[in-house]
Amino acid sequence: MLEPGAEDLLRRLAPQVLGAVVRRYGHFDTAEDAVQEALLAAAVQWPRDGIPADPRGWLITVASRRLTDLLRSEQARQRREDTVARRVLPELQVAPALDAAGRAAADDTLILLFLCCHPALSPASQIALTLRAVGGLTTAEIARAFLVPEATMTRRISRAKQGIRASGVPFSMPAASERAERLATVLHVLYLIFNEGYASTSGPDLQRAELAAEAIRLARLLHRLQPDDGEVTGLLALMLLTDARRAARSGPYGELVPMADQDRGRWDAAAIAEGVALIIGALPHGPTGPYQLQAAIAAVHDEAPSAKATDWPQIMGLYELLLQISDNPVVALNHAVAVAMVAGPQAGLDLLAGLESDERIAGDHRLHAVRGHLLEAAGDRAAARDCYQAAARRALSLPQQRYLQARAGRLADG
Amino acid sequence: MKYMILLYGSQQDYDALTGKAVPGKPAWGPEDFAAMGAFMAEFSKDVAESGELVETRGLTAPVHARRIRLADGTQVVTDGPYAETQEVLAGYWVVDCESFDRATQIAGRLASCPGPAGAAAGAVIDVRPVAESRDELEL
Repeated sequence: MLEPGAEDLLRRLAPQVLGAVVRRYGHFDTAEDAVQEALLAAAVQWPRDGIPADPRGWLITVASRRLTDLLRSEQARQRREDTVARRVLPELQVAPALDAAGRAAADDTLILLFLCCHPALSPASQIALTLRAVGGLTTAEIARAFLVPEATMTRRISRAKQGIRASGVPFSMPAASERAERLATVLHVLYLIFNEGYASTSGPDLQRAELAAEAIRLARLLHRLQPDDGEVTGLLALMLLTDARRAARSGPYGELVPMADQDRGRWDAAAIAEGVALIIGALPHGPTGPYQLQAAIAAVHDEAPSAKATDWPQIMGLYELLLQISDNPVVALNHAVAVAMVAGPQAGLDLLAGLESDERIAGDHRLHAVRGHLLEAAGDRAAARDCYQAAARRALSLPQQRYLQARAGRLADG
Repeated sequence: MKYMILLYGSQQDYDALTGKAVPGKPAWGPEDFAAMGAFMAEFSKDVAESGELVETRGLTAPVHARRIRLADGTQVVTDGPYAETQEVLAGYWVVDCESFDRATQIAGRLASCPGPAGAAAGAVIDVRPVAESRDELEL
């Protein structure tokens, strides 16, 4: 077994090694396999022989040698099958890369993130490939995190790599004109990984903490590469401020504990302090994007001593800003909750009525759960119970179902 | 990282370039030759201006080649050892650029070299990484 320090080192070097190999020899898909094999070789050899003096160089050499072997057998097979690999070169421009001077500093890890989050891939493929090629996780680990058979994940990753190959994108930074859009996709993929870990959409565990931790690690990495991007900072802050509540979010039997009932003493004060500092630093700079706003909302929650003592008018105002820039029914739902906390449950229920015709959320358990809470607060116990039950039927995770059934059960005698 | 871009041609291609009639090859007129020369000059100039060109050379016709071989302990020289149709190295560029993909992109532009119809049929260009060290030769 590798010591944790050595494992961190391997995971950190994984994208650098892949970047170096792909730059030199191309073949992103095969090189990615070769790097995985080099990482496995390191995991076996380093504990036995010690960590080499130049671990990065060691991995690059082993991966390059493995790439040579893989390419030879691939090409031999293609010749046998008479299917020589052909691809069409992308639009030719020999015009020099304008940032020729800064090119050397261009970080391969960032290029890899852009590549793995290529818009030609489905979100599921982007996530899987990012975790493997940038995160250095094995296919088995990723499959476990997403509760799918390893064979399924293997297929998903190889499809993703085929997609990259077919797109013909070179290993280089996206053009300046599309960089902002591509960065938004990268942020979205990291956000999805975090959410999958934090709010597991299916299965028995409320949160798969490792996935959330991996998303935070990748967001930190991206923040180091793009320290001046407010949304990158916002996303990292949002993850830290949300994950800070992890320990208090489930009870002794794995049951879900809503924020209002959480033991705030169990919140991670260090993560909150870091998240708050990040978001305070980011907000004054440039336009305020959705991740910064969500982080600001999380910060207000995290700094409140209790649910009652929360600055709900500020939260309501932040949700209003968020609604102006993103047409998202979940944001509208959270806004309705904030309005209810400021102006009473009926004001919140009035807003929910408007969401019922939105088919993106009409069938979502969260809409029914929120209505249940607001009806309960308004004193309509029977209607609240029906809503909790309707929500429980629609919830995907067992802890959520149990929580909602329990809420309904409490109202049974009313 | 350094890459070598290799361009191939046969003695027949060289002959066609001089305007000579070669079976199965279109003849090059003076204007075709001038257009190709201008294209190549422009190409090399662009790669030089982007700071990626290390060196470029064109080689004379294969008929001028000499091959040296050791036979029974003595050095034997053969003049013009190639068949008329054999593709041999005709010219190369060494570029120093950020990646294999970039080198491939540069080489790809050679495919749009002008010439009489059919002249480019069967032409190939290779791109090969130049070993940076002895270690890389052992991969």
